[in-house]
Amino acid sequence: MARIGVDVGGTFTDLILETDGAANGGGRVFVHKVPSTPEDQSRGVIQGVLEICAEAGVGLGDIEQIVHGTTIATNTVIEYSGAEVGMLTTRGFRDILHMARHKRPHNFSVQFDVPWQSRPLVKRRNRIPITERILPPDGRIEVALDEDEVRAAAELLKSREVGSVIVCFLFAFLNDAHELRAKEIVKEVVPDAYVGCSSEVVDVIREYERFSTAAMNAFIGPRTSYYLNNLATALQENGVDAQIRVMQSNGGVTTLAGAAERPVTILMSGPAGGVVGGQWAGDMSGVRNLITVDIGGTSADISVVPDGKVRIMNPRDTQVGGYPILAPMIDLSTIGAGGGSIAYVDDGGAFRVGPRSAGAEPGPACYGRGGTEPTVTDAQVVLGRLDPEQFLGGGLEIDPARSRKALEDNLCGRLDMSLEEAALGVIRVINSNMSLAIRANSVAKGVDPRDYALVAFGGAGPLHGTALARSVFAREVIVPPAPGINAATGLLATDMSYEFTRSVLCVLTQASQDEIDTLNEQTDALVRRAQEALAADGVAPEHQRLVKIAECRYQGQGFELRGTMPDGPLTLDNRAELLASFHERHRQDYGHAFEDQEVEVITLRVVASAGIGALSWPEAPQGGGRNPEDALLYRRATTFDDGRTYETPRFDRSKLKAGQHIDGPAIVIQTDSTTLVPPGYEAMVAPSGNLHVREVAES
Amino acid sequence: MTANKTEVDPITLQVIGGALHTIAKEMGHVLYRMSYSSIIRESEDLGAGLFDRNFNTLCESDSTPMHIGSIPAYLRGIDKTLHDPWQPGDIVIHNHPYYGASHSPDIAAVAPVFYEGELVGFSANTAHHVDIGAATPGLIIDVPDVFAEGMLFKGVKLYEGGVLNRALWQFIETNTRVPGQVMGDIEAQVASAELGVKRFVELLDQHGKDVVFAATEQLMDYSERMLRRQIAAIPDGEYRAEGFLDDDGRNRKEPLPVKVAVRIEGDSAEVDLTGSSPQVPTAFNVPFEGSTKVACFFAFRALLLDSATITEHVPQNEGSFRPIKVTAPKGTIFNPEYPAAAEARFNQIQRVVDCIAKALSPVIPDKVTAGSSADVSAIAYSGVRPDGNYWVFIEVNEGACGGRPYSDGPDTIEELMRNTRNNPIEDLGMHLPLLCDRYELRDDVMPGAGRHRGGIGVIKVQRYLTPGFLTHEADRHDDPPWGFRGGTTGKGGRLIKYNVADPERIEDLPAKIHGLRNQTGDCIGFLGPCGGGYGDPLERPAEQVREDVLDDFCTREHAYQAYGVVLTEALEIDLAATEARRAEISKQVA
Repeated sequence: MARIGVDVGGTFTDLILETDGAANGGGRVFVHKVPSTPEDQSRGVIQGVLEICAEAGVGLGDIEQIVHGTTIATNTVIEYSGAEVGMLTTRGFRDILHMARHKRPHNFSVQFDVPWQSRPLVKRRNRIPITERILPPDGRIEVALDEDEVRAAAELLKSREVGSVIVCFLFAFLNDAHELRAKEIVKEVVPDAYVGCSSEVVDVIREYERFSTAAMNAFIGPRTSYYLNNLATALQENGVDAQIRVMQSNGGVTTLAGAAERPVTILMSGPAGGVVGGQWAGDMSGVRNLITVDIGGTSADISVVPDGKVRIMNPRDTQVGGYPILAPMIDLSTIGAGGGSIAYVDDGGAFRVGPRSAGAEPGPACYGRGGTEPTVTDAQVVLGRLDPEQFLGGGLEIDPARSRKALEDNLCGRLDMSLEEAALGVIRVINSNMSLAIRANSVAKGVDPRDYALVAFGGAGPLHGTALARSVFAREVIVPPAPGINAATGLLATDMSYEFTRSVLCVLTQASQDEIDTLNEQTDALVRRAQEALAADGVAPEHQRLVKIAECRYQGQGFELRGTMPDGPLTLDNRAELLASFHERHRQDYGHAFEDQEVEVITLRVVASAGIGALSWPEAPQGGGRNPEDALLYRRATTFDDGRTYETPRFDRSKLKAGQHIDGPAIVIQTDSTTLVPPGYEAMVAPSGNLHVREVAES
Repeated sequence: MTANKTEVDPITLQVIGGALHTIAKEMGHVLYRMSYSSIIRESEDLGAGLFDRNFNTLCESDSTPMHIGSIPAYLRGIDKTLHDPWQPGDIVIHNHPYYGASHSPDIAAVAPVFYEGELVGFSANTAHHVDIGAATPGLIIDVPDVFAEGMLFKGVKLYEGGVLNRALWQFIETNTRVPGQVMGDIEAQVASAELGVKRFVELLDQHGKDVVFAATEQLMDYSERMLRRQIAAIPDGEYRAEGFLDDDGRNRKEPLPVKVAVRIEGDSAEVDLTGSSPQVPTAFNVPFEGSTKVACFFAFRALLLDSATITEHVPQNEGSFRPIKVTAPKGTIFNPEYPAAAEARFNQIQRVVDCIAKALSPVIPDKVTAGSSADVSAIAYSGVRPDGNYWVFIEVNEGACGGRPYSDGPDTIEELMRNTRNNPIEDLGMHLPLLCDRYELRDDVMPGAGRHRGGIGVIKVQRYLTPGFLTHEADRHDDPPWGFRGGTTGKGGRLIKYNVADPERIEDLPAKIHGLRNQTGDCIGFLGPCGGGYGDPLERPAEQVREDVLDDFCTREHAYQAYGVVLTEALEIDLAATEARRAEISKQVA
């Protein structure tokens, strides 16, 4: 039996296969890469699955589980290729989706685009006002639902062949009766349509964000579920009868049905896999505080994982393509910095690197596919850090002369710099951009990077790792065993995870016993839903893990932070634990807490998870000593960030043994990645197969 | 430009530039995430940044444009008024409109940055406070002088050498109607200023003082160069535009002229507001240093270095202010004399920006838009709770943009110098005795027609659930946004009042209302101006007009009248009739 993780990226589809018995040392792990097939991702997935099984000698029928990271939902947003959606909404509020939060995307601009107006998730003609009114703060009904209007609206949408309908009423988080009844009627009129309520998709306060999330779910839903079902069928036709799981934005996986029903939860599927892969690598080395840095061709994803736990982004910041999405996402930030980032001198004479990227096509100048502008990869080639014959295991031919020409033509003259100075400059600027993003995600959020290891992966990560660690004062760099397919690794290393929410507003510090009871009732209801969801996926009660969260703010603030609820029921006494956890979170995020202020609960959230079997990487064979001759490939001149050029040995990572040390300057080469070990640093091979790169303490 | 000895290489320059940008962002983030009042936390009505000891802006957060560029004037004002010399650990608060403040509710918190025992610069922020104890809750219009604006702070140390002045703290707490919000917001400002000091010192430690300050000089020169290149591309000459404001809020129907002359000479520009209205006897005046000048700086940056069309981030610093000279005679609405009140200044400066665009439109037609709403509707709703405490809520209603060279003007959006967020209706409903009854695109009028139509204004109706007060600061009921290149004029705004029990009996109110008393069930409706059209409406493809009709952005009647597009009952295009109708309109115009 075997499990497969398959992650679809823009250029490559990455796969990892783990055979049964890995946990007790008997299993084996295989990795593989195939080109992605953007017009239909499932073709690349199937091809990859067939190939990796052949390579591993595993029968297709023996695959137990496939965990999938997919960009299908995200691409539907970016390409604006979702379904035609109809919306029934409270009369007087037809344009909530059109107005959004009325803030424009640019400050200093008059020609800006407004995505939610130029590319609406629901066209105005399909947003139909319905007479009904629910009142705050208790959810009582002021105006009853006009069922005739609902029926007429449903008929109209039916006549327009709109197959996806959402019902979005104001204050539905207080009382969902109108939404549910309207849904029922729409279902009667258009039985085969997808019909969803805003309070079902996400039961929280704030109309625009809730409506937008419901609209997005309906917009991407049909295409996402078509893709997933199609993939499942295609796998079956090929003789694969595996359970399929899909990576969600929060770093946990869900079932095929779960992803099809709530596709808003898988919008950040790919990047989440990377962070979990980084977390897994750290865990193998027993390192709990991690900064994961995933550097690809056009962008870098950065995430901070304190104490072995991924952080979830504040719901006020979760958006995709300019549309807010109230679905839990791993707190990560993406910046336009990668191997393909273009270096240039702008009109005002400033030296810029990125965010403009040469991408995969034409790619860096050295690819010889028509790119003439110098990229970060070209700078690395010029500095002798990427050997032409080793690039992607020799699978891609590169021409260093083109890199040199690109730098000379575009940078050297304009900046009055030598070729080497210009190349070092490109690296320094891109590293500076990335380390600022790391600082914004760590120091700015109360995390001290000196207690952290930086996990560097993605094709280009291990080239930049030590420089980034140095500039943010991280302790060391960890390079996972297969850095080029790390996101796929993460797919086999994570848990099932579901989240359930409900807004229940209550001033906790002044709460009466009645209010505490209400909080407990609502929390219990969420717990039950969570347990049912896991049970439906076949998770036995003893394997279910539940975390209860109250999203709080100081009364009068507008932004909530997560507080952890006590294990048992909340009481007037133990609410102090919840308060303390909220104060602490506030202190961490903003540097201050106001312990004498009233604290208001806004939303309850239950996170349910269950392990699905963690990936075990086969231990590296034992070895020892320094700079093993048998792994040495050759030596070549290489320029490091100190500006000096050294005859630098290359080591073949596949031949390194646990316990071996490599002294910098050195380069460790593997199929899809190159690790730089600068002078003054050493790399150590951990038993897990991780590579640890550290500055050598001065004696 | 300055002649600094140290020349920082372009790579280090980029590294330091990036670091400064990140620091300003972090300062802004802490301020609005920690704050209490909706005007700061949702609307982000704030600014934060670092400054050198000569008060030059080194970096600023990308928050509300109105605040960006206003802090140097505060710093100059503090320099003139500070009661004791700067020392480490000080936090000074300042809001005096005749000493550089943008207007009195925008209180600055300023911390000095000392390095190796020497004052090297400042970390500062400004934020709009919801109530500073003015004559009426939240906002004011019809008041006699600056003293009616509330508490005035002139170079006052809230913290001296790290020690809080408790007497001052208690004084402020006593003199605002909503201490819970205002004191929390000041705490957020202090935290943000302290953070800036820390980060500034770290940056100096990392690169050395000489290198950092040489780099900041070069970064300012860079921003200046980027803007000057754009100005130089405009033909030399004087370009003029004008409009008028409804009235001053007391003397009804006495319009106030706004006259703008833009003089381009080489790579410099002057904005001359001579000829605009004399100063007015209400609060409808504009502080010159902290607001009038800032509006002119903004106009050139937004038009010529439009961040949607220029890929490079041009650092937000003093350099982009240098090419612009601003002239407004003393004693006029844009440069009032003490002690005139000058709190309600936003509509006027929006119109300055709009007039600058209009003046330059013949020479940079691809960079401007037709007339935007160029206004603000700021409403202070307030009342007294059963426990005797005030509630005050300032709502900023959105505007709309003019049609643009390549696209329609966005609808219901923050335009020009403002860029706030609205407050979730559900959040307000849970916390205030105020209920939103309607919030959507207005449908009583059509926006300016054009090849690219103007943006549609909002209609927002709020119902009082208990008796309360209202002050509304707005304009542009009488002088609608201009059309450009054949596009038609937009529509003016409206303010209406009715009681929920009798919604048919609608009363039209002027744009400026001061201290209006409202009863339970009274509804206040704001209808925002609609933008002007850009280009000939007959050039708008008939299919696009039809799409607008399908979406109710345009009526069938308006499609016929303004666009010459004839649609059948089934909303299909009648091609022959459309051709005939368009020919007929062309002939009328000719």
